[in-house]
Amino acid sequence: MNASDNMNAPRVKRESKNRIRVDFERAPLKERLKARFLNGYFLGKIIWYIFRLILLIGISYVVLYPFISKIAGSFMSPEDFVDVTVRLIPKHFTLDIYKAIFTELGYWQAFTNTLFLSGASAVLQVFVCCMIGYGFAKFKFKGRGIIFLLVMVTMVVPHQTIQLSMFMHFRYFDLYGLLSLLGGNGITVGTDEVTGEAVKILTGLNIAPHHVTEAGKMVYDGIWTNTGLNLCNTYWPLILMSATGLGFKNGLYIFLLRQFFRSIPDELEESAYLDGSNTFHTFLTIILPLSVPMMITVFLFAFSWQWTDDFYTGLFFTSSKTSLMTTLVGIPDSLKLEYAGQDLYYAAIRNTCGITIIMPLVILYVFLQNFLVEGIERSGLTAD
Amino acid sequence: MTSEQNISTAASAKTSKRRKIVSLDRKKARAGWLFVLPFIIGFVLIYLPMIFDSIKLSFNKIHILAGGGYTLEWVGFENYSEALFTDTGFIPSLISGLKNLAFDIPAILLFSLFMAVLLNQKMVGRAAFRAIFFIPVILSTGIMESIEASNILSTYMESSSGIDTGEGTSAAAEIVSAVDVQYLFSSMKVGAELATYVSTMVNNIFDIVNRSGVQMLIFLSGLQSISPAIYESCKMDGATAWETFWKITFPMISPMILVNAVYTVIDSFTTSKNVVMAYIDTVYEKTDGQVISSAMSWMYFLLIFLIVGVIAGIVSAFVFYQRKND
Repeated sequence: MNASDNMNAPRVKRESKNRIRVDFERAPLKERLKARFLNGYFLGKIIWYIFRLILLIGISYVVLYPFISKIAGSFMSPEDFVDVTVRLIPKHFTLDIYKAIFTELGYWQAFTNTLFLSGASAVLQVFVCCMIGYGFAKFKFKGRGIIFLLVMVTMVVPHQTIQLSMFMHFRYFDLYGLLSLLGGNGITVGTDEVTGEAVKILTGLNIAPHHVTEAGKMVYDGIWTNTGLNLCNTYWPLILMSATGLGFKNGLYIFLLRQFFRSIPDELEESAYLDGSNTFHTFLTIILPLSVPMMITVFLFAFSWQWTDDFYTGLFFTSSKTSLMTTLVGIPDSLKLEYAGQDLYYAAIRNTCGITIIMPLVILYVFLQNFLVEGIERSGLTAD
Repeated sequence: MTSEQNISTAASAKTSKRRKIVSLDRKKARAGWLFVLPFIIGFVLIYLPMIFDSIKLSFNKIHILAGGGYTLEWVGFENYSEALFTDTGFIPSLISGLKNLAFDIPAILLFSLFMAVLLNQKMVGRAAFRAIFFIPVILSTGIMESIEASNILSTYMESSSGIDTGEGTSAAAEIVSAVDVQYLFSSMKVGAELATYVSTMVNNIFDIVNRSGVQMLIFLSGLQSISPAIYESCKMDGATAWETFWKITFPMISPMILVNAVYTVIDSFTTSKNVVMAYIDTVYEKTDGQVISSAMSWMYFLLIFLIVGVIAGIVSAFVFYQRKND
């Protein structure tokens, strides 16, 4: 033992029978601070913290900048685009662009249409992908590997590859000639005038191709033709593809859900089977409630990717009668004007269209973003 | 009761028991088929005809009839040879697409792994940073991508200098030129290729951030599945953070690297932003271009399939699996 140890050693003093008092010789504050903060470990940590914070803030800026610039531009009036002193903060604040979009471009019609389309296909996709993923994860059957490979193939084939045949297929929809056989080959109902409540509901959902005549009557545009059903300009192509796990990026969802279901212990289902529950019932009442966070993650993907998708909607909605979010991008008539900053102004209008399109998604994301990370965090996703 | 009967009942009990076991297996197999049935129906009834049609179309010329419907004329490999030898833009776009891919995969994988490790650490405002980082996954797709592609306003607003002269350069480009990555690397003597690689990576940071969202999520979930006990024992043995990363995190996350590599290839090959995809789209718009574009995209698909196979093969040789079974 050396001197300093002796000096710093606690002194024990008995105050009464049941109490002792221990005095420590504390090192001076300066020494303590020095020992705590002036070492390589702490300095390294601090430098790392600062570096990390700067990096994260920088990349957050990169991510947020396009949105900031879009929002800034959306409040500017035409004069601001020829004024070189105006950059991110509008000088003549105005809501003209928003007003024009909401009143002239038929925003709410597009909103309800897209809400129905995205909502229906996202819910279908989540449920169907859960089923398929569960089938791959928990049951061994012959050909499982091959079918899973086929799922991957549907993901790898670029959708442009089958773009033409996909269009043809749904434009002249037929299942191996079965439908035209059932419908009587060659029967053309053609332009049938339909009235009545049930039809109004159907047309409200825009399920069959139709248009409104000048007299205000619904006219169906040749549903049955000798070449099959025309499903273009209806929601059916996307609904059918969602219901069969062929929708946009469904391969990814099936993969994610398969990995997730694999991490659920088999004992859970086995005990349910012992209690007399069948497989589908077990899936519905035991597995699905467990996987709600993961399902919300997949729903968020499916919904928002369908919401902003312009490939399928551009392919299937060929007529301008159905307005969707993706057909909203355009220049309202009242804002058309010729001047020096025209290109920038039009760009700002298009950006504002973009903002109004993603606004509902932003609201959804704010509420569900916790699930996005946590759903996938708790999934115990492993690739083996 | 005779002994014979006894034996027969025992035997029947035995066989019935065995049948029961077999039938349970079969029942499970049948249930498995039932669960994947939606996909099989869709694949057979919708997807397969589309694939066949597309292949068939690529060997035909198409004539749309006035009264609806269309007729096909078999032309064999004409479309393919036209795409390969007559069309001047296809091969160059393929080559540049491959070049982009060679650049993209390492950049996206490195970035997303790095960011996932960073976002996995405990810190103030982690939830907020995570929320911000996953915004592009949700919002910057489809129509937003095409709005962004034709967005001249963004670069206009970013320009800061030259207010007096009226012409500005982008602020981000300014930072890069101020730091002068190129110069920094050239004095390090690491080769001009790496220098240009890093500087393009810095310049394309927005694009890379936008496209690595799903990969980041997958890496994050992989990081979460590593047991903290391993890290604890590592710390007890005196391993530094650097060593822990290379000896523990990296091998444990390697299956995710495989998944992400494959996903990145597929994703960057099939987005409409891809050079080849954009080119095929422009061909599709031309008159009589549909069949040629479908011939092109089939060749393109085969190429993707080949590349995915090669990359999966190479990466899976280095993948470490903790659980060997299943």
